[in-house]
Amino acid sequence: MANILIVDDSSTMRKIISRSLRQAGLTVDEIYEAGDGIEGLGVIASGKSIQLILSDINMPNMDGLEFVKAVRANGNSTPIVMITTEGGEEIIAEAISSGASDSIKKPFTPDQLQEKLGGLI
Amino acid sequence: MSLNSDIARTTSLTEEQVAGYVIDATKEVFSTMVMMDVVGDFPLTEPVSRFKCCITGMVGFAGTYSGVISIHCPIALALKVTSNMLGVDCDEVNDDLNDAIGEIANMLGGSVKQVLSKGGLDVKLSIPTVISGEDYTVNSLSDNDCVVVPFTVEGHTLLVGLTLTKED
Repeated sequence: MANILIVDDSSTMRKIISRSLRQAGLTVDEIYEAGDGIEGLGVIASGKSIQLILSDINMPNMDGLEFVKAVRANGNSTPIVMITTEGGEEIIAEAISSGASDSIKKPFTPDQLQEKLGGLI
Repeated sequence: MSLNSDIARTTSLTEEQVAGYVIDATKEVFSTMVMMDVVGDFPLTEPVSRFKCCITGMVGFAGTYSGVISIHCPIALALKVTSNMLGVDCDEVNDDLNDAIGEIANMLGGSVKQVLSKGGLDVKLSIPTVISGEDYTVNSLSDNDCVVVPFTVEGHTLLVGLTLTKED
């Protein structure tokens, strides 16, 4: 079982991702939510056990690229997968070079989540 | 009302192709995230600026291209859309409704951005803006440089509009 942190400024998208993880048959225990990168860092700093982080890129206050860099700067190696409307090659390459493990393009299906995340949890 | 000629020239896309991308993106978002099938029609020949009992979600583009993509949806349909996305009934205009329509605009913006910018760094997307009301107008300084596609969904009509200009 894995604890997952979902970082997305859309509460609707956080709910869709949560539901889709279970529809994909992924073994999920606790799901924690954050509305931007700053809140995401706060959840991590609270000491919760988290095995996978799913993060949007385009968010207010602290976007997903800054969030990934901040997580890695803190020495945290938890896998981070970007779930984003941003499908541009250069943006995804920047996310990967900043420390993200992979990316999933919105909109997505539960099968696509299973394919990308199945090996991580 | 038609696609800005600079957009057509620099992207090598015709208005029909741009409308096709808008239709494909809208169908994909609704089939995968909303669990509804939408049927696209031919683009409108005149802009629509006045809306009654509707909700409008908008995402802006800035950079090499600037503009906005918008979805205009009757409240009655938006309640069904939100209920489907959340998996629980939504029966009033509230934060959930605003967030759901804003997120649809966000995904549509991401799809169009991918057509305009293969790399993705030269065009930035804004955070979604949502407005709703019994009677309101949405105006753009370049209403004539847009493509507006009507869609039929469960007996309702929603509009997806794309306004773009090429920056020098």
